[in-house]
Amino acid sequence: MQEATFLILTALADGSQHGYGIISEVADISGKRVRLRAGTLYTALDRLRADGLIDVDREEVVDNRLRRYYRLTPEGGLRLAAEAARLQANANAALRRLNPALGVI
Amino acid sequence: MNDTTELERGYRRLVACYPRSFRRENEEEIVGVLLATARDGQRRPGIAESADLVRGAVRMRMGLSRSPRTVLYAVRLMYAGAVAEVAALVIFALTAASVRSDFLVNHPLATAAQLQQVNAHIIGDWVGLPIAIGFWLWMAWANGRGYDWARLVCIGCFALNTITLLAALGTGVARYAPAATIACAVTWAIGFAALALIFCKPSWGYYTRQAAAGQ
Repeated sequence: MQEATFLILTALADGSQHGYGIISEVADISGKRVRLRAGTLYTALDRLRADGLIDVDREEVVDNRLRRYYRLTPEGGLRLAAEAARLQANANAALRRLNPALGVI
Repeated sequence: MNDTTELERGYRRLVACYPRSFRRENEEEIVGVLLATARDGQRRPGIAESADLVRGAVRMRMGLSRSPRTVLYAVRLMYAGAVAEVAALVIFALTAASVRSDFLVNHPLATAAQLQQVNAHIIGDWVGLPIAIGFWLWMAWANGRGYDWARLVCIGCFALNTITLLAALGTGVARYAPAATIACAVTWAIGFAALALIFCKPSWGYYTRQAAAGQ
């Protein structure tokens, strides 16, 4: 799973978000490191919808502008959980191996 | 206010690169997000965000953004199939003469009918290979767009490829034209993998959705 995809799914993990909300959430989660651009975001959202990992939750009109809220599907939740577990296992392994070495220093 | 309208016009010009079906559903929303992320006083779309929008549009126009990964891989395999077929054509062009002479060396008493059969085979390849290249490209395009009929055409092509390969192995053509037979086996394997991908579970939903959207 690409990092942008992982971050978008993470942004939706605790509730639905609209496009701009996802961009801000992703910036927060990544410590301002990943700034999604609109073209990348909507290509990713289109693909994630096609893969059945996210869905449209509801639509609102705010200041004459359409806001479409996206939410994680159950399948999207499972995929995100699996990917998070995989990343955590890798990170744990790296830290376990680094700790003795760091301890020596 | 004028700045915003000018900026919005610029964004809409870029979003116009996207396919109509995508625009119908997403244009208002995407323009809203673009305006919300614009800097204060920004009057024109930036270079990086313009490039990002155009890149997204190209991917969608190629039919490669909506398709699930399985279909994406299948489409890439089909392009690989076309390349393999071009390679086969080149190999065939280089070896056609030796195929005929090998046959004559091994069958000095060959009848006119047998020679005619070998010639017919060679002519068949000259005609068949360019058609096969065209079919691979056509199928890559049609499957990328999720046309359900394309999957049926793929089954037909694969069946034809299987018969050709079995015939080559069964009639001994493989002995005189090993390069062509290997090429045939390679395209068969590519075809098998592509077929498995377009008929696997994640692909089904895509073809069904595209069919529903087309109605």
